[in-house]
Amino acid sequence: MIDILFILMLAAAAYMAWNIGANDAANSMATSYGSKALTLKQIIFIASILEFCGAFFFGSRVTHTVGKGIVPIQLLDPHIVAIGALAAILSAGIWVTISTYYHLPVSTSHSIVGSMVGFGLAAVSENLIDLESIRWGVLYKIVLSWIISPLSGAVLAFIIFSFIRVLILARMEVEKVEGIFRYLQVLTACYVAFAHGSNDVANAVGPISATFGFSETPAWVLALGGLGIAIGVATWGYRVIETVGKRITELTPTRGFSAEFATATTVLSASYFGMPISTTHTLVGSVLGVGFAGGLASVDLSVVKRIIYSWVLTIPAAAMLTISLYTLMVVFL
Amino acid sequence: MKFIRSVADVFGYSPFKAIHQHSEYCEIAIDLLVDQFEAFIRGDKEEIIKLEKEIDELEHEADKIKAEIRTNVTKSLRLPVDRHDLLSFLTFQDQIINYAEHVCHMFTYRETKNIQPAIEKKFRQLLYKLNDIICKYEELIDHVAGLIATSFSKREITDVLEHVNTIEHAEHECDTVQIELHKLLLNSNLDPMDVILLRNILIHLGEVANSTARAADAFRTMILGR
Repeated sequence: MIDILFILMLAAAAYMAWNIGANDAANSMATSYGSKALTLKQIIFIASILEFCGAFFFGSRVTHTVGKGIVPIQLLDPHIVAIGALAAILSAGIWVTISTYYHLPVSTSHSIVGSMVGFGLAAVSENLIDLESIRWGVLYKIVLSWIISPLSGAVLAFIIFSFIRVLILARMEVEKVEGIFRYLQVLTACYVAFAHGSNDVANAVGPISATFGFSETPAWVLALGGLGIAIGVATWGYRVIETVGKRITELTPTRGFSAEFATATTVLSASYFGMPISTTHTLVGSVLGVGFAGGLASVDLSVVKRIIYSWVLTIPAAAMLTISLYTLMVVFL
Repeated sequence: MKFIRSVADVFGYSPFKAIHQHSEYCEIAIDLLVDQFEAFIRGDKEEIIKLEKEIDELEHEADKIKAEIRTNVTKSLRLPVDRHDLLSFLTFQDQIINYAEHVCHMFTYRETKNIQPAIEKKFRQLLYKLNDIICKYEELIDHVAGLIATSFSKREITDVLEHVNTIEHAEHECDTVQIELHKLLLNSNLDPMDVILLRNILIHLGEVANSTARAADAFRTMILGR
């Protein structure tokens, strides 16, 4: 029975990883396409390799938090953990797919955290664990990191672009500066891909790691996640990169560099602290930061409201979906 | 395209391209006015009416652009300039083509014969001056791209300020020609009806120049009011 559950879980995680690669990775890489720093092929090449590297070499901390940090899995039967983990990945995948269809700016990170909370609550309702044994402290830190990360992106991007503006753009020919930053943006594109892989891989494989109990998550789990993301970028992400990239052509290399550097630094720091944050929301914060520093012709603040709505919606929606799926599976499996 | 999560929504509507397009329409309208004046002097009715239609059409298109900008520049947008400054600047720029449109109709009101060469010459001089102003104005609006690219560097702002000065200077020259033309007209032995028409045209051409200077001034306010 556990074998079937495990295979299903791998499939669901692979789908989630693919979705993350196709959409989130593509969005963060589109900034390099919009500024024409890289061609589509180059971006896909860089994204596939560095997303994988980030996931494989630096993805374990966030994976640990998602899989083992929220629900006290050591108190639960392995069979229950397997069912819960499967329900969590499935509902995160379903929720992300539905809300993407309706153009809600949801985050895969928020979805998976909401799902794990749902799993925990389902276990509580079955009297398998106490409500207090769910690690609310960790959850509190995670929610705090969701608020801090877009702000950090905005502040960093604001500072970086202001420096570029005052120290470089004001003194040198614009074309020359943009030319130089076109090359630098190749580096930040790699940086973003690596950071994104290190943080978002957990959204796909975090629940799998839960089934391994408190032993170390095997490297192949992270490799599976990294591979799924890379394939997502290559098979669907290029369309997203093209679509998004065409709409953000005003992100010139200096602006793109600032936004990417701020995003990648924030996301990688979050990975270091094991916090599953939203790369997309951080990127939105960073772009707004560049806008506030006077770097863009126009930024639309209404997107912030939509992001906050989708936060508030995602946690209960993902949690309830998980509870439903979990209950169904417990009854039928 | 469905099944895409996009960060592109954070990039808001940018009104600057549309403003540039609008200013180009102003310039073309003045160009056509010069042609219409020549047709008026020749007494070429067909050409006068054809140009009237063209200018009228341009004004209509410019109005559409103005409406587009006004609808899209909402409160949730953060632009590098103040929103109210931008919208009031746009109102002034729109006046340029509005006055040009008034004039294009006036040329059709009445056939005027035997205009003295001196008056004709002064009129032409006035129109050329107007053309000069609007060209300079167009160059001023061209600066927007540079302002945004350098994110309002001091150098670029200094250039803009100088440019506004040259436009104000040109407008002053226009005033001088207007005064001379008034004197010529009111002391000529033209049919009084012709004098009324020509004076009306003259006054409205003056308004084109004034509006251009006012738009340039509002542009300066907008750039400095960040």
